[in-house]
Amino acid sequence: MFQFINTLLIGITSGAIYALMAIAMVLVWRSTRVINFAQAGMALLSTYFGYEVMANFNSFWIALPVAMIGGALFAAFIEVVFMRLLVKHSSSGPIASVAPIIATLGLLGVIRAVVSMIWGGQDLRIEAPLSNDGFTLAGEVLVFSPMKLLTLLTVLGLMILLSILFQKTNLGLALRASAYAPEIARLSGIRVDAVRTLGWALAGAAGAVAGMFQTVNGSGTISPDSIEFSLLLLAGFIAAVIGGLESLLGAVIGGMFLGIVISFILIYINSGLFFIAPFIILLVVLLIRPQGIIGTKAARRA
Amino acid sequence: MVDELRVYQGALIAVYVIAIASIILLTGYSGQVSLGHGALMAVGAYAAAVSRIEFGIPIVLTFFIAVLAAAIGGALLGAAAARLSGPYLAGTTLALAIGLPSLANQFSILGGEQGIFFDVGFPPLSLGEDFTQYKWFFWIAALAALISMWLLQNVLRSRYGRTWRAGRGNEVAAQLCGVNTARSKILAFTVSAGIAGLAGALLSMTIGTVSPSAFPLALSFSLLTGAVLSGISTLSGVMIGAVILVAIPELADVIAHRLGTSESVTTNLPGLIVSGLLILTVLFVPNGPVEQHRARTAKHLASKKI
Repeated sequence: MFQFINTLLIGITSGAIYALMAIAMVLVWRSTRVINFAQAGMALLSTYFGYEVMANFNSFWIALPVAMIGGALFAAFIEVVFMRLLVKHSSSGPIASVAPIIATLGLLGVIRAVVSMIWGGQDLRIEAPLSNDGFTLAGEVLVFSPMKLLTLLTVLGLMILLSILFQKTNLGLALRASAYAPEIARLSGIRVDAVRTLGWALAGAAGAVAGMFQTVNGSGTISPDSIEFSLLLLAGFIAAVIGGLESLLGAVIGGMFLGIVISFILIYINSGLFFIAPFIILLVVLLIRPQGIIGTKAARRA
Repeated sequence: MVDELRVYQGALIAVYVIAIASIILLTGYSGQVSLGHGALMAVGAYAAAVSRIEFGIPIVLTFFIAVLAAAIGGALLGAAAARLSGPYLAGTTLALAIGLPSLANQFSILGGEQGIFFDVGFPPLSLGEDFTQYKWFFWIAALAALISMWLLQNVLRSRYGRTWRAGRGNEVAAQLCGVNTARSKILAFTVSAGIAGLAGALLSMTIGTVSPSAFPLALSFSLLTGAVLSGISTLSGVMIGAVILVAIPELADVIAHRLGTSESVTTNLPGLIVSGLLILTVLFVPNGPVEQHRARTAKHLASKKI
């Protein structure tokens, strides 16, 4: 029973971080119909921004917003400079459908290489703002700590904030309109290009939060080649697909689902399945319910 | 007397030619993306090595076993892939590339992290005293590359190649013409995987061992890069990508030494150049240098006639 609770808690906290990555993926998908395989690279870069602030001011609460702003600006820059060029040059021809995939993978490679050049390959430490010692329940120590509780609350808070932005504000309406019908949105006076850039910027900020929290919840260190970041790349995508790619709530549910399933596989079946588990889960989900858990059929075509 | 390093690089180029051709077939002709060909290469390599070590199968046959094993894996993956489009397929194969090599740690027969040996033996004595091991590797790889290119060229010109291209161009139109697009996609995946398996076996031959670390995610990425640099929609440029992939580490080394950069820059320069080239190619020469040249020549000729 105790092991069951701990397994569930591990799953929920790692799932929360996958959910953040998935939110970033969904934001980009909704605004430009691109799966951004460079998202984890952007999160990595933002986390290094956060590290620099930590090294100078030694406060997580300054580092987090700076990482978010840095991530947002960088993502906006990529959209303006890079993705628009891509749309202009390779929107037709034999590789039109795969060009964005290839281009974002190239971007991932460039970001990774540049980050390694600037900060080196070694592990750099980011101190957690809250204790990582678990709560105790009936005399037993849980794997759930104040830090993990904060992570969970942040993810939920971010999801609610973004949902309000999308559902209740004019800006959110513009974001949705540009995603579903860019031509009509343009005709009704929405500056679709600017709105798309904003979508990317929001995703960049969400990715930065994911990177920072992944680091302080995991080993407490970052390096360009850490396993945690290659998992982020994959887990964010899978969680977004499970959630149907279109909805923020779906992304959070997808992230939690993925985190919990992986956690149970590792603890109850075999810990050697760590890397293959995401593939199996993704394949099963895609074959049984390709539109995702709460997605619609139409969402898959594009 | 050619430098041993150059011979080794020649063998590597031949291996890359085969691997890149498998990507071109899949992505350029059939319109499916795979980031998992590194994993399929691993399947071929392990199949060859295990059949050699455990069953003592003759070396020539092990290459056929590599093709067969990877093709079976590809058929399974292709059956799933036929139901997925663009980014979904890319993500699924990406997950496979990350996951599959780690499975080697689960089976003792595959030797875990250290891997297992794959030894094709010494070159026959009749080839002379100064016929080195690497020369032997080179000739095996080059012969395999020639044969597979010839076969591929013929397959792509056959009705199968045409149905692949038809399905890529317009799936509905292809179906209306009586093409079973799902079956044709699975077939493309199977053939492509088989070729990748051959490349995997040849790669492990040149390295001497098969281990998970020989087939990292980066391998799958560089194959895709090589295919894009070669011009993804035509087989004729396949040498370009292969040569670039082999030349870049050395080129980067020269640049780094000339500039006298720090160690972290030197080790990451090849990665930066490969990814940078990938982006620039997709942005500015999306159809590859060969097609670009062909289009320009055609335009030039057309304007002359008028």
